[in-house]
Amino acid sequence: MAQCLQSVQEFIQDSFVPMVAVLCSEDAEKVTRKNNLNFAELVRPFCRLTSEGHMRDPNNQVQVIKNLKISVTNIVTQAPQPAAIRKVLNEVVLLCQPAEGLVANVITAGDYDLNISATTPWFEAYRESFFQSMQASEHEFLNHYLACMLVVSSHEAQPLDQFLKLSQEQNRIQHSSDYAYPKWFIPNTLKYYVLIHDTSEENEQRADSVYEEMKQRYGTQGCYLLKINSQTSSVGSDEQIPDPWSQYLQKTILLNQELFEDGVAIVNSKNAENSVNAQDLDMLDLSVKADGIPNNFKMHPLQLDHPSDPGGNLDTLKSNMHIPDGKKTNTSTSHGACLTLSDHDRIRQFIHEFTFRGLLPHIEKTIRQLNDQLVSRKGISRSLLSATKKWFSGGKVPEKSINELKNTAGLLYPPEAPELQIRKMADLCFLVQHYDLAYSYYHTAKKDFLNDQALLYAAGALEMAAVSAFLQFGAPRPYPAHYMDTAIQTYRDECRNMVLAERCALLSAEILKSQSKYSEAATLLIRMTGEDSDLRSALLLEQAAHCFINMRSPMVRKFAFHMILAGHRFSKAGQKRHALRCYCQAMQVYKGKGWTLAEDHINFTIGRQSFTLRQLDNAVSAFRHILINDSKQTAAQQGAFLREYLYVYKNVNQLSPDGPLPQLPLPCIQSSQARIFFGHDRRLAEGEKQAATHVSLDQEFDRELSQQWKDLEEKVVAVVNKGVIPLNFQPAQYCLNSQTDNQRFPLAVVEEPIIVEVIFKNPLKVPLLLTDLSLLWKFHQKNFNLSHSGKEYEPISNEKDAHLKELQGTFKSEVMGTEVIPEFYMNSEETKVARLKLYPHQTGDLHILGVVYNLGTVTSVNSIDGMDPSSGVKMEASLVSNGMSVRGRQDLEIQGPRLNNTKEEKTSVKHGPDRRLDPIITPPMPLLEVFFINFPTGLLCGEIRKAYVEFVNVSKVPLTGLKVVSTHPEFFTFGSNTAALTPLSPTASENCSAYKTVVTDTSSACKALTSLVSPQDFGIGSENLPHGVIDIPLPDSVLIPGASIQLPLWLRGPDKEGVHEINFLFYYENTEKISKMSHRVLRHTAVICTNRSLSVKAAACRSNVFQGENDGRNGSMLVFVDIENINTNEAGVREFHIVQVSSISKHWKLQKCINPSEEKDTKLTSRERGKVCFRATTCNNSQATSGASKKYTFSDIILGNEQIISSTTPCADFFFRSSHFSQSRTTSLTTASTVPRLQADNVTKLIQQCNEVDLSIIVLWKAYVVEDNKQLILEGQLHVNLQAIGKEACSVYQKQEAQEMVLLKFIRPEIPPLPARPSVEQLSCLIKTSLHYPESYNHHFLQKSLCVVPVTLMLTNCSHGEVDVIIDLRQKSTSPEALEVHGSFTWLGQTQYKLQLKAQEIHKVQLKACFIHAGVYNLGTPRVFARLTDQGSMCETSQQNSMPALIIVNNV
Amino acid sequence: MSGSFYFVMVGHHDNPVFELEFLPAGKAESKDDHRHLNQFIAHAALDLVDENMWLSNNMYLKTVDKFNEWFRFWSSLTFLCIHIRFIMLHDVRQEDGIKNFFNEVYDLYIKFAMNPFYEPNSPIRSTAFDRKVQFLGKKHLLS
Repeated sequence: MAQCLQSVQEFIQDSFVPMVAVLCSEDAEKVTRKNNLNFAELVRPFCRLTSEGHMRDPNNQVQVIKNLKISVTNIVTQAPQPAAIRKVLNEVVLLCQPAEGLVANVITAGDYDLNISATTPWFEAYRESFFQSMQASEHEFLNHYLACMLVVSSHEAQPLDQFLKLSQEQNRIQHSSDYAYPKWFIPNTLKYYVLIHDTSEENEQRADSVYEEMKQRYGTQGCYLLKINSQTSSVGSDEQIPDPWSQYLQKTILLNQELFEDGVAIVNSKNAENSVNAQDLDMLDLSVKADGIPNNFKMHPLQLDHPSDPGGNLDTLKSNMHIPDGKKTNTSTSHGACLTLSDHDRIRQFIHEFTFRGLLPHIEKTIRQLNDQLVSRKGISRSLLSATKKWFSGGKVPEKSINELKNTAGLLYPPEAPELQIRKMADLCFLVQHYDLAYSYYHTAKKDFLNDQALLYAAGALEMAAVSAFLQFGAPRPYPAHYMDTAIQTYRDECRNMVLAERCALLSAEILKSQSKYSEAATLLIRMTGEDSDLRSALLLEQAAHCFINMRSPMVRKFAFHMILAGHRFSKAGQKRHALRCYCQAMQVYKGKGWTLAEDHINFTIGRQSFTLRQLDNAVSAFRHILINDSKQTAAQQGAFLREYLYVYKNVNQLSPDGPLPQLPLPCIQSSQARIFFGHDRRLAEGEKQAATHVSLDQEFDRELSQQWKDLEEKVVAVVNKGVIPLNFQPAQYCLNSQTDNQRFPLAVVEEPIIVEVIFKNPLKVPLLLTDLSLLWKFHQKNFNLSHSGKEYEPISNEKDAHLKELQGTFKSEVMGTEVIPEFYMNSEETKVARLKLYPHQTGDLHILGVVYNLGTVTSVNSIDGMDPSSGVKMEASLVSNGMSVRGRQDLEIQGPRLNNTKEEKTSVKHGPDRRLDPIITPPMPLLEVFFINFPTGLLCGEIRKAYVEFVNVSKVPLTGLKVVSTHPEFFTFGSNTAALTPLSPTASENCSAYKTVVTDTSSACKALTSLVSPQDFGIGSENLPHGVIDIPLPDSVLIPGASIQLPLWLRGPDKEGVHEINFLFYYENTEKISKMSHRVLRHTAVICTNRSLSVKAAACRSNVFQGENDGRNGSMLVFVDIENINTNEAGVREFHIVQVSSISKHWKLQKCINPSEEKDTKLTSRERGKVCFRATTCNNSQATSGASKKYTFSDIILGNEQIISSTTPCADFFFRSSHFSQSRTTSLTTASTVPRLQADNVTKLIQQCNEVDLSIIVLWKAYVVEDNKQLILEGQLHVNLQAIGKEACSVYQKQEAQEMVLLKFIRPEIPPLPARPSVEQLSCLIKTSLHYPESYNHHFLQKSLCVVPVTLMLTNCSHGEVDVIIDLRQKSTSPEALEVHGSFTWLGQTQYKLQLKAQEIHKVQLKACFIHAGVYNLGTPRVFARLTDQGSMCETSQQNSMPALIIVNNV
Repeated sequence: MSGSFYFVMVGHHDNPVFELEFLPAGKAESKDDHRHLNQFIAHAALDLVDENMWLSNNMYLKTVDKFNEWFRFWSSLTFLCIHIRFIMLHDVRQEDGIKNFFNEVYDLYIKFAMNPFYEPNSPIRSTAFDRKVQFLGKKHLLS
């Protein structure tokens, strides 16, 4: 139970007070009326006595009475109707609401912190009213009238007669059988005669004389002269006199006011009467109709201070009627206007006098009388009676009660029954606070009643016994709680008297509370709830809830539960405010714990109650909760919630149509997943044309890919800015999402659409319909071109326009076009993407704020869910027809990524900005569209194909600086820079070759045709251009608006088989520079699938043959080209023809084909392999003039019947692309490894150079393919780069051996090994030796036994440094047996030569060999050692090649 | 035996970890308007569960509270070590079945809680767990 203002003793004492009736004459009433009060009301504030009273109990002990309160009321002759009581109690509770600013206590229990107001004034108010409205009953006397005041005005002509009349009237009411109500305590009621005197009007002497007369007649203790109205009402208004009536009467007045203000139609006529004047008329009308006084009381006023005239007859009433009229207006709010403070004192004095002189002696006397009766009866009759009864009748029930036995209330005693006398005695003692005595009497009475099986009486006695036991000073005996329980049970179950049970329970609960027995109190209170009264149940449940929270270990969850129950009951009882309060308090416990169903229920109720109480904001937020939360409700329930929510929202909107748009909770928007796209939707394909893929919203974001694009863009920007990337470089981003870098404001171009993709999620099981969906934006117009003459524009927003949902289609605006999606349907639990467009028409800063839409339900909800159409259907249909949708917005707020760079950022949670939705609208930029025509999807490796590209400028601004950069620059070419080398765009017929060809005559076959080409012509080789960036040759280098141009494009299938994704980035600029956006790019990704074609392996070896003495050069090489058909596509490709082999080198050229076979056209069918052999010679340097070192010599050896001019566009282009590519790769490798040692480097270099060849071979082929019964000729080229003699090079990309899995090791990276000494192999290439001698030599051994043959040893220095050479002719073999061999010969002459050869020098040494027998000899015995001159001996090595040099010596 | 059962596991912060309703075979759908009542009752019972927990050595607390007597009883099993409270609302008396059911669900839960990807005290969303508990319910309660 909540805390109360009164203590428990006060509460119980005040609940049971001596009752005093008032009968008032008409004139007396008139006097009090002046103060806007009736007599009972007038004395009400003074009814609590401040001084102590004394009286003697039957044993002559003095009993002190403290703080006594009496109740003075007008006589009411009819029992109150239960319905009326209920109404009034309802009112009382309704009016007593918690104060707005009431500071609630915070109770902490376990994990819970609750805000609960500790007091419940509405409960106290209810309790007070409840006790006041208790009607007097038969079985107890506590609220029976003890005395009656007869009030007469001194103004009257015959006051004493009037007193007599009133006395008779009282007698009539009490003793005649007309009135069963009110009840009187004892037959001879104390009558107290009060003469009321209006000092302002009357002469005092008359009053005094009348009073004297009264004293003589009624005795000094039985009458009183009360003088009031010391001042006139007009004067009184100036002075500040405390108004003690207000706290008693305010309530009723407030009640009326509130009732009318609220417009709540519960007007209680009883209360209206209580509120003084205005309603008196109704009352009087009623009474006028009635004849006689009794009818005046026909309607029982529930409040004890009934204003109607208690006395008099019809005449007095009639005259009474006129009195209030005059004063009604000015006194309606203030009471006691005519009373001074001394008047107050007089009234107080009067009550004091009455109580101590009149009432208490009367009670004392009555007690004595009763006691005497009881003593006498107890002594003889009673005990004897009961004893005889026991003996003779054998426990038979008393005769008198036989008839009533079946009565639910048990026995009914006649008023004079001795048992009742005990009870009466007890009640009297109780009233005068003699609790000891009261207890013993109650106890006795209880026994008697129980013996008689008079259950109602017994229960009453039990109740009071318990109460008086509790109130006994010093508590001599423990509080008998079981008495109370029994009493309640009896009242409720046996007597079916809920009112009494309730009273008993209230008392008991309060007592238990005072003893901190909260748990018992709660049980008691909960037991008292029932179906018969919602209000009572609600209040008691609430008190029970408070009990739970007040326990030593608070039971928070029980508290919450009972609060919910109380709230439920309150709402049933129509107490909306209280219901709402209960639910809100309970909500604190359930909030956020996951009891979703319970939480939904509470929120729903809170929403509803708030709505009915017009607390719309609360209602909206409560409903919002239901919808946002992860709901477990069924679809039907959710549908109901949604409808309710929409309905409430609609009401809110109607209240403030011009207010800001409300934030809608549905559907959920995943803000961070929003994507924004700049630009038009792309046309993808148009017949033969295939548009550049560019970027679109349909593509998934790929971080790697986007980095690739960024790198490409950086590359091209660097080229444009002469190798430096500008500081403010911002890679073009066309589609921003959660993963892109959104720190900078994205750039959008005026007149180009901005598409925002918003992801909506419908969490509900019912479909939603969004209509008129569009974006909300704010725009700050700026002129970027004329920044200095800056005219300031006001920021514009479409938030205002967004209200007008009637607008269909695009919002027309000069600044910004906003596309509106008329209908957006979302199925249950669906996640759907909406793409919303904006068309900026001006430059400036745009901020996309959110989305605005109408949220509505869908009619066919039930059919969709496959549920039976329930009662909801009708309602829904009507809702839709009513336009049941609300307009609202949702903001898009995106939090940037969490920062994690500095220490501060790491330790705290900071988020970077995300400017995705704040694009800057820049001035117009050109817009390029690119289409590819005849672009293949599949190619053979090395296949050459010709396609076309169309560039279209679709903007209104000219376009320039068109460039393209690609991840695979060797894949395509636009032709060379030099027009002469580019074939004019030929007709696009299918079989037409992509190459430039010249028909040759057969005679020139196998002969090389050479031409010189500079690589600059093909855009390669100029140092400042990184490879991969290609200028696209536009005529006049500008594409004017609307213009289009078609350019040929040659493609070559990548050398590696498989699927290749090739990215093109087209770069272009505006003709005028704009600060915001320097360039734009267009992306294209081509997917090419390649099949294997041929594998070309080539090797070169040194030819030892001297071309001739006159040649003077050392250059002659054999090149073996090994070609294999490795195509696996059996079905398609029939055969490959090698039509031409070309060589490209700075120093070498192919001279002729030395293929022994006669077959000219080398044909390779599947899996076939062929070998072609060529002789290569060094180029004639004399041919080359200045700058020839930069140029390449192309030489074509034609195997077919037409020459493909390899030095022109497709062929040479691709060669340069690929060779450049591979070269850059190798050089980068070598530079990396040779840095550490410079000295060794020199040596190696020198030695390596001996072996370097630097010859590239291009194999041009044609493939015959059958496709769709049509023969196609494909052509292509493969490149082989020969780098060193003896080293085989291959065209096919060498697959890396799959590395075996090794254990992961963590080791320190070793210092790269020193470049080893040049290997023996390499060193052996320093010097080329050859022996020149006659192959056979005839000698006549018989003539001359010694045959001397001249042999020339030719030494050629292959290196570019000086070489020391030692020639040792001595026999190497040291074994003696070797000398024995016949086949030996000897060299004559000098056996060792030391020579120094300059770079590239050829030296001849004349030797003589001496033979003694005829035979075949190997002359290759001379050993040649060579070393570089400036190096130590370490490099020395044998230069002898193992090739035998055989000579035949014939004996002639 | 035909009674309906409402089983809930309550976590440290009085948050429901797992809920399940068992209905007799005849009744397919529970009354939707009363589903929240189960939650209310179970939640309110926690007070008594917590109170009785310290008074009893037994993990199984039998009937701890009654609401409206004719309407539902409830039983509870509390595991101090993990402080997960099992509460069963039932409208027929079935001591043994409930006890066995609790024990088996406890085993099941312990296994489930071993899962390193399950954050203790968070709602269980595993369908496998749900299925198993339903099976146990059929076995012990509705049989």
